Amino acid sequence: MDAIIDIPPINSHLESETIAYTSKILQQLANRLEKQRRALVLDVGTVCNENINFFAQRAKKLFVCDIFAHMNRYQNSGLKTKSVWRHLDYAPNSFDVINLWNLVEHLNDNDAKRLTEICSKIVKKKGLLFVIENDVSAQAVSSFVIGEDFQISLRPQTHLDFPWYCRHNRAVISLFTSFSTVKIFQYRKGIREFLFQL
Amino acid sequence: MFKQSEKAKKDLNKKVENDSTKKPIEVSSTAVVGSNLSRDTLTSSKSENTIIGEKISIEGNIRSEENLTIEGFMKGNVKIEKHSFGVGSKGRFEGEIRANNVLISGLLHGKVNATGKVEITKNADFYGAIKADSIAIEEGAFFKGEIELGRDPHKKDDSVGKQMKETGHREKQVSSLPSVEAVKEN
Repeated sequence: MDAIIDIPPINSHLESETIAYTSKILQQLANRLEKQRRALVLDVGTVCNENINFFAQRAKKLFVCDIFAHMNRYQNSGLKTKSVWRHLDYAPNSFDVINLWNLVEHLNDNDAKRLTEICSKIVKKKGLLFVIENDVSAQAVSSFVIGEDFQISLRPQTHLDFPWYCRHNRAVISLFTSFSTVKIFQYRKGIREFLFQL
Repeated sequence: MFKQSEKAKKDLNKKVENDSTKKPIEVSSTAVVGSNLSRDTLTSSKSENTIIGEKISIEGNIRSEENLTIEGFMKGNVKIEKHSFGVGSKGRFEGEIRANNVLISGLLHGKVNATGKVEITKNADFYGAIKADSIAIEEGAFFKGEIELGRDPHKKDDSVGKQMKETGHREKQVSSLPSVEAVKEN
C-alpha cells in the first residue's frame, strides 16, 4: 500500500480540453480477453456504442446494465436512487470482468459500498473489476469512449446530473475491501485506473 | 408518422381476431410500402414493408416473407429470417425475434436473433438478449441486456498487436504508479 501515491490537485484548466489517453489496463484486459475467448463481461456504465462493440467482439458475451440511466429515471421520478441496485440482479459468480467506469465517484459512500458488495458476489473468483475515476470533468458525468489503439476519450453526458465525490486512492481502495488491488495507473490528465481482483 | 391504408388496417384486424388459436399469422398480402423507419436496416432488403399500426395489438406469432415494423403492440414471436424487423418509436414488442436486420426505436422486452445487424436508437427501451453479427446502439437508449456477436475466425483484429508494438512509446505518455502486484495471467 505504501507504493500508492496521492493524487495531485485537479487541474481545472483541463476541463475545456479534449481528454484522451491510452489506457494501460484496457490493453492488458483486451489481451486477456483475446486469450480467454469465453469471458463474460459486465459493463455497468453508460451505454456507449464503441465500448459495447469493443467488449462484445472480445468476450463470449457482454452484459450491459446502464446504472446511470436507471439512476436518472429514479431521480426524475422522485424515487430513492438506492433502489437502483436491484437492477444488478445477476447470479453469483457470473462475470470474469466488471467495468465500473466513471461511476463510483458519483456515488456516496453507502451506495459505493453497496455496489462493491454486489460486485463481489456477481464476479467470479479471481474475476476482475476495472474502475476508472475521472477527476477532470468532475462536474459532469462522462462516458469513457474507447477509440483506436486503446485510446480512451471523454464524452460528456449532459443529460445526467449527479453529485461528485472526491476520493483519494486510499479511499477508493477502501471501498473495495473484498478485492485485492492489482494495478493502479494515474494519468496526467486527471484520470485514474484501478484494476481489482477478487 | 406514416399513413397506413384502411384496407391494410382492416386486413390486419381481421387476422388478429382470427388468432384465437395462436397459430402463426401469415402476413404477406397486407404490405404497406414506405415507413418512417427509413434506415439502412429496414431498407437494405428490397421487399415491401408491412406495418402493424399504432392502434393494433397482436398476441401470437408472425412468420413473414417481407419486412415488418411494429408501431403498435405485439406479444409473441416473429420469424422473418431473410428480412428486416423494426419496432417503431411508439411500438412495443414482447417476445422473440428471428430476422436478418433489426431496428429498435421503441420498447422491446425479449430476445433478438439477427443474422445481420441490430440497431437500437436513442429513444429505445431494451430489456433482453441480442445475438447478431453486428450491433449499433445510440447513446441515450435505455438498455439492459446481454450481447453476443458472431465472430469471424478469419477476421484479424490488428489493434492489439499494433498496440503491443507501440507499448514502449505509449508508456512515455502516461505517468503510471507502481503497481501493488503484477497482473496474473491465466
